[in-house]
Amino acid sequence: MHTLEQQYPENYFSLLGLPISFDIDKDLLIKNYHEIQKSIHPDNFANAGDRERRLSVQKAAQINDALNSLKNPLPRAIYLLSLFAIELSENKHVAPEFLMEQMELREALSQVNDKADPFAELDVLINDVNTRIKHSISQLSRLFECLLATETGSEQDNKQQEQLELITAEVLKMQYLNRLQEECLNKEEDLAEQY
Amino acid sequence: MALLQISEPGQTTAPHQHKLAVGIDLGTTNSLVASLKSGLAETLADTQGQHLLPSVVQFQAKDEIGYKTIVGQQAQDNAANDPLNTISSVKRYMGRGLEDIKKHSIYHFVSEEGSAVPRIRTVAGDVSAVEVSAEILKTLKQRAIESLGGELIGAVITVPAYFDDAQRQATKDAAKLAGLPVLRLINEPTAAAVAYGLDSGSEGIHVVYDLGGGTFDISILKLTKGVFEVLSTAGDSALGGDDLDHTIVDWMLVKTGIVEPDASLLRVLLDKARAAKEALTEQDTTLIQIHLDEKLHSQSDQQTSWQYELSREQFEQLIQPLIRKTLVPCRRALRDAHISVDEIQDVVLVGGSTRVPLVRQIVGDFFSTQPLADIDPDKVVAIGAARQADVLAGNKSDEDMLLLDVTPLSLGLETMGGLAEKVIHRNTTIPVARAQDFTTFKDGQTAMAIHVVQGERELISDCRSLARFELRGIPPMVAGAARIRVTFQIDADGLLSVSAKEETSGVQSSIQVKPSYGLSDGEIETMLKDSFSHAQDDLDARKLREEQVEAKRVVEALLAALEEDGENLLSAQEQHTIQQAIDELSEIAEGSKQRAIKLKIEEVDKITAEFAQRRMDASINKALAGQRVNDLHT
Repeated sequence: MHTLEQQYPENYFSLLGLPISFDIDKDLLIKNYHEIQKSIHPDNFANAGDRERRLSVQKAAQINDALNSLKNPLPRAIYLLSLFAIELSENKHVAPEFLMEQMELREALSQVNDKADPFAELDVLINDVNTRIKHSISQLSRLFECLLATETGSEQDNKQQEQLELITAEVLKMQYLNRLQEECLNKEEDLAEQY
Repeated sequence: MALLQISEPGQTTAPHQHKLAVGIDLGTTNSLVASLKSGLAETLADTQGQHLLPSVVQFQAKDEIGYKTIVGQQAQDNAANDPLNTISSVKRYMGRGLEDIKKHSIYHFVSEEGSAVPRIRTVAGDVSAVEVSAEILKTLKQRAIESLGGELIGAVITVPAYFDDAQRQATKDAAKLAGLPVLRLINEPTAAAVAYGLDSGSEGIHVVYDLGGGTFDISILKLTKGVFEVLSTAGDSALGGDDLDHTIVDWMLVKTGIVEPDASLLRVLLDKARAAKEALTEQDTTLIQIHLDEKLHSQSDQQTSWQYELSREQFEQLIQPLIRKTLVPCRRALRDAHISVDEIQDVVLVGGSTRVPLVRQIVGDFFSTQPLADIDPDKVVAIGAARQADVLAGNKSDEDMLLLDVTPLSLGLETMGGLAEKVIHRNTTIPVARAQDFTTFKDGQTAMAIHVVQGERELISDCRSLARFELRGIPPMVAGAARIRVTFQIDADGLLSVSAKEETSGVQSSIQVKPSYGLSDGEIETMLKDSFSHAQDDLDARKLREEQVEAKRVVEALLAALEEDGENLLSAQEQHTIQQAIDELSEIAEGSKQRAIKLKIEEVDKITAEFAQRRMDASINKALAGQRVNDLHT
């Protein structure tokens, strides 16, 4: 029976000196990232031979990818799922009630301009979306903790499948919410330019 | 001060030997070269004591050893009398195609058969922007060698942060023609930040507003203990001080009623416009006097001299739309960095054009802060570049900054229907590598073409074409069976390289690059040959020397690596094998067989590949262990 670290020795968490977990110490992540880049960044090899330069660029690129995958909760969740061989695709199902909510929120966003105080309206909406995202994050935190504490083994595999499905569903929701948040910020910028 | 001198890979085994490297600001209007002297970065002056070198090249003739040119102030003075052969603001043409050249250009552009790069017709022949820039770099290189009294191991050359791949590659090509090894291309705002950051040492978020002669950049950077991180960058690579000058020229043309000024007159008007702009920094009004030399100018209408009063107020009216235009990238950069104006510690002004009072006012209002211009805005970029050059050359110090920069433009691929699919997003920290999988659509297909663009738009036609990569050597299979993984990598210079492998067979594809706006390898080879008197012989001599330099680097790096990590990472047998390989390479490098040296280097690379990997991993573990030790102490 292998741990995830043993299964994937070059995983991004280990590369950046962190345990594999959804909840991370962000300060430690950044500190480790900086220390590693200080030692392997191409700037250390600007005057070195061809091979050293090439190797350093590849490694630095990998470290940068690791940081980008772990820095924020959504990419981190997606990366963790990939360690369980789950790739997200657009066709996966999201609960109809959730989709209804999303459509209502979008409609509210499109109607912001017609309100008496568009900025205030938009503010309320942005806060609403932020709260939902925070809720999603705490859900994922709980679910991943459960998942990673479960040992792999034939009796546990069904339970693990269940957990992975729940997590995948939550991640898909978060994707929608993030996109919505992006559009709210776009709207905010548009309003600012008009006034 | 360190008690123990530890050799790093790339440094000599005599760590106290200082390596000569310079920083070069290859500007639109003026260029500078700077270096560290007694620990302080300063710009280098010519024999007349001038630090700024006007980026003007007058072509006079061409002989067997290259172009005969005058570069700098003298050329600028001659410009009005020889407008078509005296090239200024060549930076605006680097990495650009014929369609990009704006209407205000006075030069005679021609396109060459089989080349993606336009040439300027001069009395010395048809020259490309790359060759013109090379002449400027040669002058700066000479100045540095004379001033520092020794050969340079290389230079850090700065480019606008918003320069695309073609413009960056053109800069590197110019350095190659000038015989100047490039240690790194650094973004101008980042270089300026280094110059300021080291002075103040203040942690926090800094903004660099860089309005040069031909380009505008805004960069937002975060400085924490020894790390300079670019959060976002935006700009306009076709907006600068030259455009401010042009508004005055247009105003003059309206007032004088001249409809189609010839090249010489346009040159005169531009010079007058620039002088007026500069005068209005201190004065409220300035007198512009234009006097035409009848012999030079064909517009022999009645009038040959004019005189106008231009007030600062009128000038500001003319330029305001352009300055306001710079605020659009400013907003974008703030947004991409996810920060608001009140989180900003300070705003630094870079570039001669930021001396214009209206610029300071608009920038100050937008960021709600008094912008800084303590370091000479003309010199600050070169100074920052010099500091980094020293570090990159291997002269380590306690003040070393790690620069984490970003790619300014999204990289995309052309897909069905003329759409651009983004592979790497703008403001991604570099180096970065992304893989994309492709497959064949015909049975037995062995080649594939990929069109790469840069830009933010959805349609390919709205983006900037970068290059067409032809992948060859795909093993013939049923349509759709092949899985070709194409890896796009942007290195620390911001330059793209592409590699491809067919995954099911493991076959590496060969890639032919056709740059859309760049010189091909063949063209550069020809240009290099043209600048040697005995063409083939001297070119061979140069190639041999380069190979020997590379061999020396490899040997020195390996010796240092063995000393540092030989004992803990290698078995006795492995150490012995590597030492033997090093000795053999050293011996062959003494000879004059370029091919033999190259082959030996390849062999040594293979033998030491495993060692290099182990060192890389050990380096990372050491960095992390250092962190854990720090944790214990807190």
